[in-house]
Amino acid sequence: MNILAAHKVTKRFGGLVAVDALDFTIPQGSIVSLIGPNGAGKTTFFNCITGFYRPEDGSLFFNDVSLTALRPDQITAMGIARTYQNIRLFANMTVMENVLVGQHTRLKTGMLGAILRSPRARQEEAEALEKAQEMLRFVGLAGRGDWMAKNLPYGDQRRLEIARALASKPTRLRDALGLTILLIEHHMRVVMGISDRVTVLDYGVQIAEGTPAEIQGNPRVIEAYLGRGAASGLGQKTAVVAAAA
Amino acid sequence: MNVRLASREGLLTGFINLCCILLGLTGLAGTMVGGWFHLSSRQPGAWLLLLGIAVWGGVRAVRRVPDPSRNKTLIAGLVAGVMHGLTLAVSLWLISTLLDAGAEVRKWLVQLTPEAIRLLTFGLSPVAAAALMFVVMTTAGLVGALWVRASERYPWQRTLSKGPTTVRTRFLALPAVQNFMQRKHSQQILWGGGLLILLFFPFVLGQYWNYTLGTVGIYVILGLGLNIVVGFAGLLDLGYVAFFAIGAYIVAILTAPAPHGIMMNFWLVVPIGIVLAALAGVLLGIPVLRMRGDYLAIVTLGFGEIIRILSKSDALTDFTGGPRGIRSVGGPGLFGFDVSSEFYFMYIIILGIVLAAYVTLHLQQSRVGRAWMAMREDEDVAQAVGIYTLQYKLLAFATGAALAGFSGVIFASRNKFTGPEDFTLLVSINVLCLVIIGGMGSIPGVVAGALVLKGLPEILRQLADYRMLAFGALLILMMIVRPEGLWPSTRRQMELHERAEQSGEPDAGSSPETGP
Amino acid sequence: MATAVQTRAKRTFRIGRLIRPAIGVVVAVFVLWRLYTVLASQSFGPDTWVRFAISGLVLGSVYAVIALGYTLIYGILFMINFAHGDVMMLGAFAGYFTLEAFNGAGFLNKNLPSAIISVVVAFIVGMSVSLVISIALERIAYRPLRTAPRLVPLISAIGASLFLENVAQLTFGVARHTYTNPEVIKRNIGWTLMVGGKEVLVAYTGVLTFVLSLLLMIGLYILVQRTKMGKAMRAVAEDKDTAALMGIDVDGVIANTFAISGALAGAAGVMWGLHMGVIYHYVGFIPGIKAFTAAVLGGIGNVPGAMLGGLVLGIVEAVAPAALGMPFQLKDVLAFSILVLVLIFRPTGILGEVLSGKKA
Repeated sequence: MNILAAHKVTKRFGGLVAVDALDFTIPQGSIVSLIGPNGAGKTTFFNCITGFYRPEDGSLFFNDVSLTALRPDQITAMGIARTYQNIRLFANMTVMENVLVGQHTRLKTGMLGAILRSPRARQEEAEALEKAQEMLRFVGLAGRGDWMAKNLPYGDQRRLEIARALASKPTRLRDALGLTILLIEHHMRVVMGISDRVTVLDYGVQIAEGTPAEIQGNPRVIEAYLGRGAASGLGQKTAVVAAAA
Repeated sequence: MNVRLASREGLLTGFINLCCILLGLTGLAGTMVGGWFHLSSRQPGAWLLLLGIAVWGGVRAVRRVPDPSRNKTLIAGLVAGVMHGLTLAVSLWLISTLLDAGAEVRKWLVQLTPEAIRLLTFGLSPVAAAALMFVVMTTAGLVGALWVRASERYPWQRTLSKGPTTVRTRFLALPAVQNFMQRKHSQQILWGGGLLILLFFPFVLGQYWNYTLGTVGIYVILGLGLNIVVGFAGLLDLGYVAFFAIGAYIVAILTAPAPHGIMMNFWLVVPIGIVLAALAGVLLGIPVLRMRGDYLAIVTLGFGEIIRILSKSDALTDFTGGPRGIRSVGGPGLFGFDVSSEFYFMYIIILGIVLAAYVTLHLQQSRVGRAWMAMREDEDVAQAVGIYTLQYKLLAFATGAALAGFSGVIFASRNKFTGPEDFTLLVSINVLCLVIIGGMGSIPGVVAGALVLKGLPEILRQLADYRMLAFGALLILMMIVRPEGLWPSTRRQMELHERAEQSGEPDAGSSPETGP
Repeated sequence: MATAVQTRAKRTFRIGRLIRPAIGVVVAVFVLWRLYTVLASQSFGPDTWVRFAISGLVLGSVYAVIALGYTLIYGILFMINFAHGDVMMLGAFAGYFTLEAFNGAGFLNKNLPSAIISVVVAFIVGMSVSLVISIALERIAYRPLRTAPRLVPLISAIGASLFLENVAQLTFGVARHTYTNPEVIKRNIGWTLMVGGKEVLVAYTGVLTFVLSLLLMIGLYILVQRTKMGKAMRAVAEDKDTAALMGIDVDGVIANTFAISGALAGAAGVMWGLHMGVIYHYVGFIPGIKAFTAAVLGGIGNVPGAMLGGLVLGIVEAVAPAALGMPFQLKDVLAFSILVLVLIFRPTGILGEVLSGKKA
């Protein structure tokens, strides 16, 4: 069963067609990578999924629900979380607060509950705190909860970003192994090592799709990368969509 | 090269000194110093200021010397002193000659009274006075150089900027304080204690101070409200006064006998004022909150002005009393007693502050407050973690507006009057300044900011006409020396028990509490 | 759960989409209705409309020149230079004293060339004084705060504004000063137009103001677009760090920007004095706010936008109260309403907010 299905998704910027009638599916529970040279349209497609761009054409379904009319926050509420190529944390909030914000859509306390600190709000807050601590332990940031996010070293910031993304899942961590991941990564060893399937984009068009082994041998992929110099494989850019139903 | 730099410093400080003379600051210093020491003459104070600036020029010049050997230092001081002296001497000569020739200098330099000139010339002839000035200022430059040599430079700048923070961290690190903070109800005890002290306040203070501090208190409530909008949610609102005005006009219209004669009970009007102000916040918010930072600033500024102009315009005179405002606004009663004196209002204001602080604090440490802060930090990511930003912006706007409306109700009722001139742009600016001076997003900061901002002009009253001048300069200085505010926000420690578990990592949470 | 989210989303989305057209329709109906009543009642003759339009054009061109300064500084530092209006005020005073001095020396009205020289010198003095003050302002109040959060320089600017206003009040007093124009360009003489059988005066000072502001705008546009300095300014506006890496002296460029914007403010101050006549220590405040509104209206950071925004704002202020049959004291309400409306429909201003950069 496909957790995400894109059908003929097209996104233009003026005359430039960044994503051109792309068909794309992610089976439940798999790790799918999206690769391609710089400017191939990976990030644009990614932004279409998460609702920051609205595709001109085509449809996007998450668990058979259309994403095309939804705002980013509503898409997140459905269980899609993302991290960024260059880390984007809430710098002037503590590590703990970052993870708590990640749980936003799961919590319900509104203005009144917050002001009056109703028993329900208190209980929810305590549970949220507990879950946040669990997340921090999971990514190895236990004991750093009161640090300002901006004061963390780079690696820990990445960990925190993952913790924040995981926190938005409706489920507790131990049930969360049914994660589906869409990975955008320039580091080929990572991609080939962990992906179930790989899709290659160039100029907004899918040029290859298959298992890592098939992709590695595909002449069109090699041409797309090497034909214009191999330099683009060197950067370590990562972006992940993790989704859980 | 050093000579050039030193002479530049001399010229600069000389020019500053000249400005002080032209602005009449010299005379002011004379009056103030004379007043403190009960002197009959204003000369000592005036010359103290002049010499002070000249010495400062010498000090600055010496600091420009990269390798301060004895001679170089002295030369730098001398050069600065000479340039400083030249600047002042020439100007003094020019001014006194012009005056002697009967030119109407005072027509455009109103501070140059004959008496002010005599302070500088001792009644000497222009040339003699200029020569005296030159000699004295040159010496002062030299003194500045010697001063630097004599004393290791005391790092006053650091003390000024780090001082309050250091005192606070030291205080919080005391074992007794730490023990207390670990106790279960420490927060409640602190709040209760503070409240008790506050309750005794109005008894101790006279009418004047009750009134003045009452104004400060009203600004605290305003500040707490704007703190939500600017400090938490990061929305720059320059028209905050509009909601203040709405609250004030609502209480005036509903309780005053004059234009409508509705004469409602004050306590009934309070919730009406709060709700209508919040509603106005939402109504303004819907069209404008999609705009980015500075557009929002100017549009809200415009909204504030619109409300003020409307309240003053002829078109609404029947409703708002026009430029004359509304008189005899009703005060609160309690079981048949009239409790609308300054003394009782102090309690109402204290109650208001406590309520506002309670609401703000609880919001800050909740899902709502976190969503606001996330929005302030990075709107895109906030949306990506599932925050519906438009809704939360509206919430912030409405909450801020509600608090402003509340303080407006108190304000108009206490003054028994409301009129359009109470609601100028300056109020919005003042409130914004107090939030930022106190430390954005910090609740005690708002109180500190309000005390400084509304209290400082009272303290600076001695400076008379120069009050606002000093205030403007202090604002700039404050931003340069301590941009994070007087009492920057600290985060509640949410990981206390976690750290207790992990005793192996002693240093984990203790180091970076607030950013630089 | 997912479908519930979706249906709710669809509903809110639709309402969000309806807000703008709804506002548009309401405003359009209101404006047309008022316009119809006013025109039908014929309370104003055509000559009055022309007079309104002319005064709006002149006022607007002063706003425009001040707005250029706002736009430049905002484009580069992303800060609202709150003290800009006060820089203009000090320039106006400098021009005033220059003209006074010429008048006192009997030079001002000696002959036509002497009058021209006096006015030119007044402009030069006013512009230089404002230029120096603007640079000093940047050095003292803004440069130390370059890396601070954005609100910090704003507060500093507010402090500077208070400071400058009080400096002016203390040195020049609270009295209102009336500009001494040369006889040839007294405020009440000019060309006369015949409109609908009635005379409409076009004051020379108004024409001077309008033409001069156009020239200043064109000059600034050329400076920003065609010169090396302009290129450096645009580079700094795009990205300060990269510009510095390319060997551009960022501090110098920012100082230049303040110098230019100060000079423009000084020119606007002298124009204000010559045309409006009265100056006082607080005179810069309202025009300053209006000019910032104009800059936003036209698209902040955009040089022609500031000009257009200024003119639109001036004309709206002068014509709209009469056209909508409202009392004249509501002109500021209308001015700000126009701003809100424009921003609702064009969130980045009339001409968009590109600081001359990417398109050039």
